[in-house]
Amino acid sequence: MVRRARQGDEFAFGLLVRRYQRAAYSVAYSVTGRHEDAEDAAQESFLVALQRLDECRSPEKFAGWLMTIVRNRSRNLVRRESLREMDPVPIGASARGPMPDRVTETRELRSRLEEALEGLSEVQREIVLLHDLEGWKHREIAERLDLPSGTVRSHLHFARKALRRTLGSTEGKLNQTRKIP
Amino acid sequence: MRDGWQWMDEADVSAENDLQLTNAVRGLDPAVEDPNYWLRFQGWVVTSARAELTRRRLMVELTMGDVMSSWARALVPSALLAAAVAGLLAVGPPAPSSAPLSVEELLVSGLDGEDPIPDRTASVTFVSELF
Repeated sequence: MVRRARQGDEFAFGLLVRRYQRAAYSVAYSVTGRHEDAEDAAQESFLVALQRLDECRSPEKFAGWLMTIVRNRSRNLVRRESLREMDPVPIGASARGPMPDRVTETRELRSRLEEALEGLSEVQREIVLLHDLEGWKHREIAERLDLPSGTVRSHLHFARKALRRTLGSTEGKLNQTRKIP
Repeated sequence: MRDGWQWMDEADVSAENDLQLTNAVRGLDPAVEDPNYWLRFQGWVVTSARAELTRRRLMVELTMGDVMSSWARALVPSALLAAAVAGLLAVGPPAPSSAPLSVEELLVSGLDGEDPIPDRTASVTFVSELF
């Protein structure tokens, strides 16, 4: 697919996007922490990746290569956003927030989850999101992010533990699983 | 007494709780709210990439054969012109040929100094005739 996309095959490129769009979004979200920013960064990253596709020497390592681009684009975006936020916000301008038309419960849960994710390190967020949101296995994450498998497992373990702790310390949906001693 | 997730020991965390956590994280998937989200995402990216994809296709179409034919386009007229000029020269008026040289002239041609060939019309006087 990578070779065909390199030759301008639109169908092949579309397949690549379909295959890695969730992973790209997950990585972008782990850096930006906001849906809109993650969406922008992930989309831009695919376009940048296409322009630089000749630099991807090993097509089998495309996923890891793409994720590096996503990470860098996301960091740049966060940097730009933080600079922009230093400017005074014009009256009437709408702030970027969570997606509209959300069911209250889901919004609440999501909000708490976002807060909990903020407490994790960037790499922990990335691994949790790739594992739970995208569904990549430990081995896939290790291969594609070029990390030792043990490191991935360790990050996932501590990230989950921290998430459970944070989510458990607040009232909400997740507390329904509370154990009665 | 600790509440919620917090009071549970690490070893006490069951697969069910992890599943719950996984489900909670999956709630961050934009497709939860909008089932067509990823389809639109893909469509947006592919549409935005169309110009670059077209450029890449054009680059591939410039194959070796195209390069050779582009050379041929320049070479063939030049070769034809050269052949025509050569043909014209070949059928043109012949250059005036010089008179054939005698054997003596051929032998001394290119030598500097006095004409080594004596005057063939002069009479030869032998020494014996002087005395």
